[in-house]
Amino acid sequence: MNYITENLLTILILLPVFGAISVLGHSMFWKNESQAKWITLFWVVVNFVISLLLFGSSQLSANGFYFEKNVPWIEAINTNYHVGVDGLSFWLVILTTFIMPIAIISTWGAVEKRHTAFYVFLLLLESAMIGVFVSLDLLVFYLFFEASLVPMFFLIGIWGGANRIYSAVKFFIYTALGSLLMLVAIIALYYIYAAKMGTAGTFDYVLLVNAAKLGNLDLVGTTGTLLFFAFALAFSIKVPLFPVHTWLPDAHTDAPTAGSVILAAVLLKMGTYGLMRFNFTLFPEASREFAPIFITLAVIGIIYGALVAMVQTDVKRLVAYSSVSHMGFVILGMFSFTEQGMQGALYQMLNHGVSTGALFLLVGFIYERRHTRAISDFGGLANSMPLYATLFVFTAMSSVGLPFLNGFVGEFLIMLGMWKSHALTITSSVNWNYVATMFAGTGVIFAAVYLLWMIQRVFFGKITNAKNKGLSDLSWREIGLLAPLLFLMVYMGVYPTPFLNKAKETVVSIQQRVVGGEKGGSFEKAEVKTENQLKH
Amino acid sequence: MTENNLLSLIIFAPLFGAALNWVVGGKLKNELFSGAVACGTIAVSCIVAFYIAFFADGGAMFADKPTLDHLWTWIQVGNFRADFGLGMDHLSAIYACFITFVGLLIHIFATGYMHGDSGFYRFFAYLNLFMFSMLTLILADNFLLMFVGWEGVGLCSYLLIGYYIKKDEARVAAKKAFVANRIGDWGVIMGVFLLFTLTGSISFYDKVVDGEKVNSALNIASAMSADPFTWGAIVAGGLTSVAVLLFIGATGKSAQIPLFVWLPDAMAGPTPVSALIHAATMVTAGVYMVVRCNGIYQNAPTAMFIVAIIGCATAIFAATIGLAQNDIKKVLAYSTVSQLGYMFLACGVGAFVAAIFHVMTHAFFKALLFLGSGSVIHGMHHEQDMRKMGNLKKYMPITFITMMTGWLAICGIPIWAGFFSKDEILYKTFATHASASQATLFGQPVNMILWVFGLITAVMTAVYMTRMMWMTFFGNERFHDEADVHAYAEHGHDDDHVHDSHDDDDEEEHHHALQHDFKPHESPWTMTAPLVILAVLSTLGGLVGIPYAMSSIFGAGDVNKFEHILEPVIAKKGEHEAEKKEAKHFFQAAQPAKEKAGEHSETKTEKAGESKTAEHAEHSPEEIWTEQKLAGLSVLLAGLGIFIGWFMFKDNPLRKMPKLLENKWYIDEIYNKFIIDPITNFSRKGLWQGFDLGVIDGIVHGVGQFVTAIGSIARSFQVGFVRSYAAFILLGALIVLGYFIYYGLKLVG
Repeated sequence: MNYITENLLTILILLPVFGAISVLGHSMFWKNESQAKWITLFWVVVNFVISLLLFGSSQLSANGFYFEKNVPWIEAINTNYHVGVDGLSFWLVILTTFIMPIAIISTWGAVEKRHTAFYVFLLLLESAMIGVFVSLDLLVFYLFFEASLVPMFFLIGIWGGANRIYSAVKFFIYTALGSLLMLVAIIALYYIYAAKMGTAGTFDYVLLVNAAKLGNLDLVGTTGTLLFFAFALAFSIKVPLFPVHTWLPDAHTDAPTAGSVILAAVLLKMGTYGLMRFNFTLFPEASREFAPIFITLAVIGIIYGALVAMVQTDVKRLVAYSSVSHMGFVILGMFSFTEQGMQGALYQMLNHGVSTGALFLLVGFIYERRHTRAISDFGGLANSMPLYATLFVFTAMSSVGLPFLNGFVGEFLIMLGMWKSHALTITSSVNWNYVATMFAGTGVIFAAVYLLWMIQRVFFGKITNAKNKGLSDLSWREIGLLAPLLFLMVYMGVYPTPFLNKAKETVVSIQQRVVGGEKGGSFEKAEVKTENQLKH
Repeated sequence: MTENNLLSLIIFAPLFGAALNWVVGGKLKNELFSGAVACGTIAVSCIVAFYIAFFADGGAMFADKPTLDHLWTWIQVGNFRADFGLGMDHLSAIYACFITFVGLLIHIFATGYMHGDSGFYRFFAYLNLFMFSMLTLILADNFLLMFVGWEGVGLCSYLLIGYYIKKDEARVAAKKAFVANRIGDWGVIMGVFLLFTLTGSISFYDKVVDGEKVNSALNIASAMSADPFTWGAIVAGGLTSVAVLLFIGATGKSAQIPLFVWLPDAMAGPTPVSALIHAATMVTAGVYMVVRCNGIYQNAPTAMFIVAIIGCATAIFAATIGLAQNDIKKVLAYSTVSQLGYMFLACGVGAFVAAIFHVMTHAFFKALLFLGSGSVIHGMHHEQDMRKMGNLKKYMPITFITMMTGWLAICGIPIWAGFFSKDEILYKTFATHASASQATLFGQPVNMILWVFGLITAVMTAVYMTRMMWMTFFGNERFHDEADVHAYAEHGHDDDHVHDSHDDDDEEEHHHALQHDFKPHESPWTMTAPLVILAVLSTLGGLVGIPYAMSSIFGAGDVNKFEHILEPVIAKKGEHEAEKKEAKHFFQAAQPAKEKAGEHSETKTEKAGESKTAEHAEHSPEEIWTEQKLAGLSVLLAGLGIFIGWFMFKDNPLRKMPKLLENKWYIDEIYNKFIIDPITNFSRKGLWQGFDLGVIDGIVHGVGQFVTAIGSIARSFQVGFVRSYAAFILLGALIVLGYFIYYGLKLVG
């Protein structure tokens, strides 16, 4: 037991890899693929149970992390296997291990070919995702970040829908392009550290941040700006932030249900996580300076995503565009640089994982029955599938932010944070932070429009298409899949305190870092600078 | 601060009922069980509400301090906190009592009305869930929890309007209601943000939670100096902005211009829903919020002005439409919109007590009228078109008599409840004149214009209600006129294709062509008993708030209990008058100067004992005389309206009404054509197909093709792998680029 807790994060990363090997070995020796899903399910459930041990420890390391582990890896380039969780990554790791069993069961009978490979990729994906959230070494982080791309590329490209090749390639090019620039920036940081500190370079996040905090790295001015954008581009594409979002609808639409669920629940969070983890702490000056750009894009994304979602004809694409809108809120909250906004952003990452994950599951259920997702093919489904309709409406309500369901808490905190923020200019007649919040708030109205309009056309009315008449309502497997998500929607909406408390310390320290020490102090100065720059 | 844990029972009893009906009731499918659970839980709420309001610790309705019940801390981040805490003060006590009581009656009525419906349990689960939300709304001790109820009633309204899911009009109306409410909710949330930034709190009351002191945002706001209007202030933020933003929410929930369009369509829901949600309770939530925030509004004269104008405009506008509707529920729906307009007019001129008084009397008589119409519809086998009714008094005597009392009440005939509350509003509108001299329109003081419009609305109310009563209960029996029926039906379809299409609904058993041996029948006792009780309330309910001027006629002295109870809730601007001399108030000094003096001398402890003398001091003989004259005028005009209605429709109940009014001024069409369609088209053609697929993906593809072209010069590849190779080439190029950047940096750094 002691051994497990000491190496908990490593175990969480490696267990899925062992799982993948066992799935491969099983199919090689027994020439039987049908048990692959059971073996996979076993490993992901075990991994989830082990991940619950994360709750056990409250021993913070000197660097402010739980379960920190730091061992040399490639000494030639001074890179370490350095992992640890804090308030920022804690819930994201749990979310990852929690969503995996659900994703596995969601495609229980729907995989039609190459079972072994399908499950191997899913397991490798889990490993990579956990690695991303716990890595504290930039090179290791980068490797996991890239590694997560490959399984998803194949999941879409092999088991995807009609346009799978196109979507997979688009997904790959978009995201790889962004992350390569990040690699450049990571290498640059290595050399900058070496040059400024007069020692060997390092990829270690903790060392870099500490040096940056003391001002030793001089990550301001052009250097800071370039590096900031190299990181930010990689993460913005991942989020995705308007206008680099167009890979998402294609990837989502063509991914198999498990892929969509994981993509929405976890992969997108890598972007927002990265911005908060790396951009804010390494480049606080640039973060402040360019916050108006990100806030503007986030607000545009919120409204744009919602408006485009409104006119979609394919249910899954609609949900995908709604992700663009929801993730816009997360960016908005982060760049408000207020405790409420950043806590809300982190909370909204989890909410989006739960609600949008559930929506993709629900879309998957109906696709398995009808092999179509076009809204016009449906109508009156509430008559043949009343339980399905009820749960869909419930999940939609969570997604549109009905109070006492999870989405509301996140969106409310984000907008409250943005409203109070000083990230945008405040003049005597116009407080642009208010304006940004007001515009962002319309996204909540449009969310109701696109989801309820879709629900109205899909579920209500009379059955117009004879094929929808004999559809069976949800099976126990499907209900069981949704049950934990539905429970979380209510729980997280009614009692968010445990989630928020766990994240509080880390979020506050990041917020303090990004606004520059004492609250608002140098931030106000940065504001003036931005204002002047805008004038020139 | 009084703690009483029973308070949470008021809201959780209906929630429990909803859950029980959903889980167990859905399995049993037993009407007796579902009905008993639903009515029983509301009865519990009702008993507890009355107990806390009148008896516990001296009664929350009379106590100095609100009764509080803190359950848990909901959201706490930084200096922001929102508790799940309930509070009952005088205002919410009044609300809680009439909501639970009227709610109980409507629940009982519904067990009769919904008899035989396949979704019986589902209906009552929703109805109970609604009661939970509504009671949370009014008992919440902070803005955010109020907003929970606020959105919750919106959701329940959505579910219940769309209850007949097979009906096209129902599903369209449900979505429309939710979206219109959502637009309003945007205003509420933004208002709460701004209030929080101004006061650092969102609590309604001063309280102590976990040893931490929480200040009342309302008290802080009302202690601020009045916020004069400037255009820039809208986005810079001040109390005016708070008040306007909150009022946007009220226009959504309480169906005021410009968001009123959802309420008439909401009539697609079952009639008990129309009575409970769309007449008695939910739609008055906006009035509740404005009165709750009266301390803010009194410091935001511009906002008050806007509230008054919107309220008055809605009142008369909806009344004109009500004149020309043929669906019995539509008439009542527009009448509700119009009456809500009166309530906001009252708020806008500072007569907050009168607004709440009208909310209560309106809940009685409008619930009565709606349930009466439900009884008619039930007796007519789900026929709602008044053109196919007539002479129902012969067949449905109890419904007829009870509805007559509702009719007298809404027309404003003394002693029926509506007279006192409506007259109070009109009088207060008139009386603001004395002090609000600065606001003029066309050379007239604005309040006089509002008052005249209010009077015209009163006449029109009497006309359309008389028309409705005449078409339904008097004249010739038209339910056998097959030929005519078809002609009307056709006609109806022409103008109003969305709202009159009941006929293609198999679940609902809407019989358009009534059989030849058809006879309307009186409804069962579960339906008529609530009617009778509501009829009594509509008749006598106004007596709790008789204005001084009226009561003195009968030598009864001061019997306006209602005003005394609500007085402490209304922030007293008089106390801060000295600091606020510079502020320009449109309607600030709503109460006559002497009243203010009276209040000024009052201290809190004296209030209970000496209010009588204070009252006497408030009412000078001239004012009483004016008020009596105006009341006489109101009665005359109501009589005139009834006469016009009777004269126009007695011989010709099917008189053709102006097409413009029958089609509701084409507001829906205008909204569709100029707002909804352009947004949809822009999103589809402009944003999605144009920008997303065209511009962004165009660039992405362009880059891809460019790289492919370069790649194909260098080497030839197998078709199909081109794209991925292109990607790698692009990436390689970027690495080189990155290297250059890096060396550049090194030179710089």
